[in-house]
Amino acid sequence: MKRILSLMFCAVLMATAAFGQAKKPTIMVVPSEAWCNQNGYMMSYDDMGTTLKLPDYRAALQNDMDLKLAIAKINDLMTDRGFPLKDLEATLQSIQRQQAEENMMSSKSGASMQENPIDRLRRVAKADIIIELSWDVKYQGPKATLTYIMRGLDSYSNKQIAGSSGASTPTMSAQVVVLLEEAVLANIDEFNNKLMAHFEDMFANGREVALDLRVWDDAGIDFEEEYNGEELSLLIDDWMAENTIQGRFSKLDGTETRIAYEQVRIPLNKPNGTAMDTEAFARQLSKYLKTVTSLPVKVVPRGLGSCMLIIGGK
Amino acid sequence: MKKILPLLVLLMVSGLSFAGKRADRLTNEWRYELECAGNGAQGTYLVKVWSYSKNSRVAYEQCSKNAVHGIIFKGYAGGNGCTPQRPLCSNPGAEQEYADFFKRFFADGGEYMKYVQVKAASRQDVKIKSEHKVGVVVSVAKDQLRKALEQAGVIRGLSTGF
Repeated sequence: MKRILSLMFCAVLMATAAFGQAKKPTIMVVPSEAWCNQNGYMMSYDDMGTTLKLPDYRAALQNDMDLKLAIAKINDLMTDRGFPLKDLEATLQSIQRQQAEENMMSSKSGASMQENPIDRLRRVAKADIIIELSWDVKYQGPKATLTYIMRGLDSYSNKQIAGSSGASTPTMSAQVVVLLEEAVLANIDEFNNKLMAHFEDMFANGREVALDLRVWDDAGIDFEEEYNGEELSLLIDDWMAENTIQGRFSKLDGTETRIAYEQVRIPLNKPNGTAMDTEAFARQLSKYLKTVTSLPVKVVPRGLGSCMLIIGGK
Repeated sequence: MKKILPLLVLLMVSGLSFAGKRADRLTNEWRYELECAGNGAQGTYLVKVWSYSKNSRVAYEQCSKNAVHGIIFKGYAGGNGCTPQRPLCSNPGAEQEYADFFKRFFADGGEYMKYVQVKAASRQDVKIKSEHKVGVVVSVAKDQLRKALEQAGVIRGLSTGF
């Protein structure tokens, strides 16, 4: 009896440890667009007549050893803090390898794999938090000074959640790579303090996410459709107020065909104790919409922090 | 001579215990100043700590303890090529909340000694009226110190809760 009891106790402890934790955001260090532009690591493409320029991370990593060192140093320091980062170079290589494999893959009947334009567009290096890094060396006579900016950006709310910047003491002898390493070492703690404050806010007030609601054009309804005397958009507002932490959300946009919510504070865990992410929250909303409208709802996740719901079909 | 010897021993013992009590009182007061002394090696902070006492030796002995206390609860300002650093412990009430832990941690010969190293030949002694202000450059192993505090539950780790 005692053995059974102790086994049950262990099982409960393990379940609590497994389910009582929030989803860990992924973090990746990338060079800033300004740095890529200054150093000539940009690629341009034609977007229906307009030439657009985007950072070419692959070229930057292949040619700039200072960048590789800075990324490796930050990765190393974050791993020491128990928060290993997603590596940009490994992610880019993995995307390339996956693409090559999928191009070669075919079924026994010769069919190739389905891929829609959205899948192709999304096949880029992404993370929930991006650490954007840039530096510049300025010379005053023989002395060099390194200015350094490190920004932590939330990929979905586009908010800067952490940052540190500074300048090294002017030097005549130290190499850029040494100055850069010094700058990373001197600023990483301040950066992590701010990141920590962001996580603490998240634990206290919930994860901040964004939701975008749309309607397929053949759905036959829009957000002004009335159910039991109430417009659908108001019913959704009420549901959001009931299901977000302290009813905290902002309605960015609301028309008859689109509702955009941001700063939506969702709980980190579901009532059953498992981790909650935006998709799980959006699926709860989709269930509610299905009950109200009797129409199917498509849920399109965009990573941990953003989701789109489209009413009227899958 | 036989009478003088025990008296001398008694005086020495009482002097030592008085110095110990004074050190304990100074520890409780935490009267010190902390300033950056340059960029330390990876995982360390290099700081100059100034401690006060009527006895120069007591002030010097307090320096290591004060430096660790400063890194945990005060942080230090930047300048002279240094980046300002916040304290490891962001909760202002933590010292009272974990009083038992810190009493053991900062006891004479306590765990704090594992995280601090005095840089040789850096001692400065300034006599101000009846007091000595002693400054020493020390290296504090802040990464190890942070891990120890995280394990003790005094501060949260970056990945705690995930």
